[in-house]
Amino acid sequence: MPSYQTSDSSAQFTPWIYSDLVKQHFLEPKNFLMGDESKYPHNCQGIVGNPICGDQMLMMLQVDSETDVIKDVKWKTYGCASAIASTSALSELAKGKTLDQALKISAEDIAKFLGGLPKHKFHCSVLGHEALAKAIANYRQKPQNPPASS
Amino acid sequence: MMSNSTGQFIYLDHAATSPLLPEVKSAMLQAMDFSGNASALHTAGHLAHNAIEEARLEIAKLINAEPDEIIFTSGGSEANNTVVNIFAGQNITTSSIEHPSVLESVAARAHAHQLLPIDRYGFVKDDFTLSPGTAFVSVMLANNEIGTIQDLKSIAKIAHQQGALIHSDATQALGKIPLDVKKLGVDYLTISAHKIGGPIGIGALYVKKGSSFKPLIMGGHQERGRRAGTYPTVNIVGFGAAAQHARQSLKLYTSRVKPLRDRLSRRILQEIPYSSSNTPLEFADRILPNLLNVSFAAAEGESIQLYLDAEKGIVVSTGSACASGDGRPSHVLMALKNDAEVAHSSIRFSLSPGTTAADIDAVMSVLPGIVRRLQQISTVKIKQENL
Repeated sequence: MPSYQTSDSSAQFTPWIYSDLVKQHFLEPKNFLMGDESKYPHNCQGIVGNPICGDQMLMMLQVDSETDVIKDVKWKTYGCASAIASTSALSELAKGKTLDQALKISAEDIAKFLGGLPKHKFHCSVLGHEALAKAIANYRQKPQNPPASS
Repeated sequence: MMSNSTGQFIYLDHAATSPLLPEVKSAMLQAMDFSGNASALHTAGHLAHNAIEEARLEIAKLINAEPDEIIFTSGGSEANNTVVNIFAGQNITTSSIEHPSVLESVAARAHAHQLLPIDRYGFVKDDFTLSPGTAFVSVMLANNEIGTIQDLKSIAKIAHQQGALIHSDATQALGKIPLDVKKLGVDYLTISAHKIGGPIGIGALYVKKGSSFKPLIMGGHQERGRRAGTYPTVNIVGFGAAAQHARQSLKLYTSRVKPLRDRLSRRILQEIPYSSSNTPLEFADRILPNLLNVSFAAAEGESIQLYLDAEKGIVVSTGSACASGDGRPSHVLMALKNDAEVAHSSIRFSLSPGTTAADIDAVMSVLPGIVRRLQQISTVKIKQENL
């Protein structure tokens, strides 16, 4: 019986197409929310994207109304590896920052933090960023949380 | 749980490329010593020429064609472009689930393009009428994404009755099911080496004796003036060796591969909540024996694919847009289900005679957990109580 294994065992297969950091955040994403999000205490949220387009992102924040600091971030997604990894990274970057500081985190910052993303995957990393911005806007829309004067 | 540090994969992506077979590789290594140009009259050239003609014979035998009806090309895409180009400026009919090398080539070259619809299982409806003046019909034998096998015999009959010539892209069917150009009644047929354990970069177009032809690549007498370019001897020899192997291992697809595919589909559908098959398993004799396309509600396909890779070195494909990088879901799954979420949540498994029951069990040791986790973090709502 002929063997059907790949013939050259010395051949080195190309490793993961993403950087080690992307892989790490993909395999063990930080701050994601399992199951029913209604049980998670939050004071604002943002949802962007659409499953029809292949990705959707929900971000929920706990904001300290005295200091404007993001105390906790949780997210959910229907998305690809890049969306999962970059949102995991973003959630880590945003935690502990004020809303203004968090808004300044750019998609480039996330890609940089992850050691780069394939070009056609850049869109996926933008999604988390947009969800965060929308959550912050949602927070500031509420009459009890006027935008910080700057 | 990293297992691919050794370079060993559980390879279930044979419909994309089937790894080079050892006997093919050794035939190719031998052919590398045929240093001559196969068109030259000296001995070195003649050795290469003989090797090419032997390969042509093997390939012809695999599809029951005559050797001089086989034209070597750089692959399936060139064969498809070549045959469509013969009918440039004329009315062309294809199915809606053809490979892009047919669809885009027809869109660019045809005077008018008629698309045949598929039914809800993925079969071309065989009661179609060609639009008047149709010169050429192209319908693939087996679909690369969902594995449906079309009733080419009937389709060819309809095409011929209405005065059109018929082509079939048999790239996925080759080596998986018996293939006989005379029984199918086709005028042209596309095949490719790397789907049957041959090298990448070589394919062929079968052109039935007497059928219209015009070369796509001009400027040389090779292939009797039908395809210019120095013969790639090593690749052709590899294709021949793969064809010989395919002829010998065809039966294994029924005796060994199909039961494993059925085991995989049965376990997935039973053990993974909200899974559904895009391959119409109820038509057992009208689908490829080695292919299974499934969708997992609320779990995104590319993520499933990459978790399988990362956790256990399991190699599969997805019909999700993100993976292919073009931002659109698979046109085949869209034609079938018209639901982008189903397309984005799909995974294609494609097996070979080398696949084992242990491989299938390895998939099932991680896949339910991966899907469950993705469903739990998903923004897409499915009934939570079953998660």
